[in-house]
Amino acid sequence: MEAKNVYKTYGKNSKKADAKQIEAVKNVSLQIRKGDIKLIFGPSGSGKSTFLRCLAMLDIPDKGEIYLGDQCLTKPGVDLNKARARIGFVFQHIYLFRHLTALRNVELALRHVLKLPKEEARKRALAALAEVKVTDCAYKYPSQMSGGQAQRVGIARALARNPDIILLDEPTSALDPELTGEVIDTLRDLAKEGATMLIVSHEMPFARDVADEMIFYDEGKIVETGRPSIFFNAPSTDRAKKFMDRIIKRTTRE
Amino acid sequence: MFDWLVDPKYYTWILQGLGLTVEITLFGVFLGLAIGTLLAIGDIYGGKLGRGAITVYVEFFRGSPLFVQLFLAVYTVPAILNVQIDHYLLAFLVFGLNSAAYQKGYMKGAMQTILDDQMMAGLSTGMSTAQTLRYVILPQAYRIVIPAWTNEFCSLTKSTATVAFVGLFDLVSAGMSIRMWTYKILPVWLVIGAIYLIWITGFSKLMDIIYDKKKIPGVELPMQ
Repeated sequence: MEAKNVYKTYGKNSKKADAKQIEAVKNVSLQIRKGDIKLIFGPSGSGKSTFLRCLAMLDIPDKGEIYLGDQCLTKPGVDLNKARARIGFVFQHIYLFRHLTALRNVELALRHVLKLPKEEARKRALAALAEVKVTDCAYKYPSQMSGGQAQRVGIARALARNPDIILLDEPTSALDPELTGEVIDTLRDLAKEGATMLIVSHEMPFARDVADEMIFYDEGKIVETGRPSIFFNAPSTDRAKKFMDRIIKRTTRE
Repeated sequence: MFDWLVDPKYYTWILQGLGLTVEITLFGVFLGLAIGTLLAIGDIYGGKLGRGAITVYVEFFRGSPLFVQLFLAVYTVPAILNVQIDHYLLAFLVFGLNSAAYQKGYMKGAMQTILDDQMMAGLSTGMSTAQTLRYVILPQAYRIVIPAWTNEFCSLTKSTATVAFVGLFDLVSAGMSIRMWTYKILPVWLVIGAIYLIWITGFSKLMDIIYDKKKIPGVELPMQ
């Protein structure tokens, strides 16, 4: 998957004079190859989530190109639903379908997007739930699960279609600290199995262990990219250095 | 005071009138829900033109007296088009279209409380907007809208009395006829009123039960 010179600004069409324009994504390019695990981090409000949503075409970029394989998704007339079916997306606030059990949450797209017959969809949904270790929640509704369980169901929902890439938007930051561990463990398992992932996250130990590349994102731009070892030892930009210092201090204090 | 009630002639009238009242009400609220849903979707996704047309529709049906709408539909429109259309059918349609104008608002409100996040979640799995509406948004919106829909049912039931003015025989028409034959005023209207009360209360209770049964576990619904 590749992003080429992507731009996205909010508040452009507003007619109000005092409307703020927020340039969430300014000329961002990024390439992810099969099997890559990349991690985007940076201050909140810097546009990371918007960039991730642009990649999945859940937000349509103002300018620039998004490629999935050799298909350009930003060309007019592309079947975006088909493209999105090949991309898994995990939301910060989970967004499970609230009226459906965990199993049906995972099943829904298998039935109606992949058009699998009922029994096969059920089998695959159960397998996906088993993979993230929430089989015991299969018949629970989202509100009856803990945040960590719900987020793992969210991951199962994204996984079940065997997507080419999984985009995860701060999958642990809306969870209680004691619940982030189970979600991170799930992501480590996925990494071991060779999944292609782009993760927005500030889980630094996880980043150090599994990320092939870390991307420091600030004010709508990629400031610095490099291997985790570089970021943890000597980032080359001041801003990245300051941010890493702060985040590592916070983590060690905990 | 109520001895006329046992007269077969009178209670047949009442049953006949009640039959029409129930039919029109049920037809009206269900047709209203179907059209109201389409209008709500049109209002959200229809662009400027669609929204404009829907606003005109809604303001016409909400802003003019039901009696006038009924009169236009039953007498004026067929006369202009020079066709004969069954009065019952036309009255049924007017109630459906009128109710849709109100129910559009309820449905749109219900959909908007869940639309942003649930639509994005649906699209992220590869479903189309239409599929997400069908499998994710509407099933939740219909649950949310039940209390408002029940109110609409109560109000519509009583509005159906206007059909008496275009010559259809509903519960109020039955009351007027019996009053003329028996010269009893208060007892007749007490009985007619009690029948409305029982029908509306019974149906509302039924909807309350359905609402509780269909409630999404743990989700506190707004608009109760």
